[in-house]
Amino acid sequence: MALETERKTEAIFNSTPAQKQKDRILLLLRLVAFLATASATIVMALNKQTITLVVATIGNNPIKASLTAKFQHTPAFVLVLYSLLIPSLLHIYNDCACTFFVVANAQASFHNLLILVLEIVGHKIDFKGLRLAIIAILDMLIVVLAAAGDGAAVFMAELGKNGNSHARWNKICDKFQTFCDHGSGALIASFIGLILLLIINIISIAKLFKPKSYNTI
Amino acid sequence: MAKTKRLCTLLCRLMALGATVSAAIVMATSHEKANFFSVSFEAKYSHTPAFKYFVIANAIASVYGVLVLFLPSESLLWRLVVALDVVFTQLLTSSISAALAIAQVGQHGNSYAGWLPICGQVPNYCGHVKGALIAGFIGVILYALLLLYSIHTVLDPLLLRKN
Repeated sequence: MALETERKTEAIFNSTPAQKQKDRILLLLRLVAFLATASATIVMALNKQTITLVVATIGNNPIKASLTAKFQHTPAFVLVLYSLLIPSLLHIYNDCACTFFVVANAQASFHNLLILVLEIVGHKIDFKGLRLAIIAILDMLIVVLAAAGDGAAVFMAELGKNGNSHARWNKICDKFQTFCDHGSGALIASFIGLILLLIINIISIAKLFKPKSYNTI
Repeated sequence: MAKTKRLCTLLCRLMALGATVSAAIVMATSHEKANFFSVSFEAKYSHTPAFKYFVIANAIASVYGVLVLFLPSESLLWRLVVALDVVFTQLLTSSISAALAIAQVGQHGNSYAGWLPICGQVPNYCGHVKGALIAGFIGVILYALLLLYSIHTVLDPLLLRKN
């Protein structure tokens, strides 16, 4: 009985042209958020720079050592990037900030892609009136996860850029210029994606309020 | 039934408030001085911006927790509480994630960047910070549960209530 009224209100809801335009704008925002998070993932995952330093000179021959900076090196271990469906915060915290950043953004872009495909192609799939609710709740989870990934990566990048004189940790950005530039680019893209995702989430929650009676706790 | 629900939410919110307050206070009082090969080594939470962010985020979340406790049960502001719960859960998650990342570097170091671990020199500081992080983590889990519960009660997205 409640499900039928919900289906009817959804049907009425989706047929006015103003509502269709709002839906299209929402779709566009989600597309841009998907592009932002996907580009952040790709740029950070391919972020690698090798420099050669002259370590010593024997006679006329300089001895060179090459150092590589990779995104996985900013923890000590490497995570397998396949945990796509379940944002389990507990197991991710065992690993480093940059890998977590890549994983979180990969999950966010996968979620965006899934919802985009669902909204464009899947209007005939029957969710028994739960479509708005599922999208809003999943969006909330992904917003929280992406915020965590961004927070960790931002502070690790700040540490790499400024060092920490009290712990005798030197900055690495003066040697690995391109690595740091790519990293900051990925961070900016990820923050844009996060803000757009937050806006989309708030709009989805606002949509949830309308057909219901207002309840309190 | 409504009274027990109200009591449970109140209790949960009180525990979350306690967790965030204790996380902020424990992190802010972490301080240790050590002498290492005649070099004086001082470790404080304010030397690391990630820990400062952790203290500030937990302080803001505690203020929010105190304010929400005073909300009367039947007001329409509970819908705003759902949105604010999302924002504060997100803030707390990002702060604990950042603090955990920096603490992990402090514990294990980073051989690729030439950063040595500092927990060997200042073990009490490290233990203090670990305690604050555990309290912060409990706060995050409680806030996440509260968020799911307020969505369920205020919005009823799974349509379990028959009107």
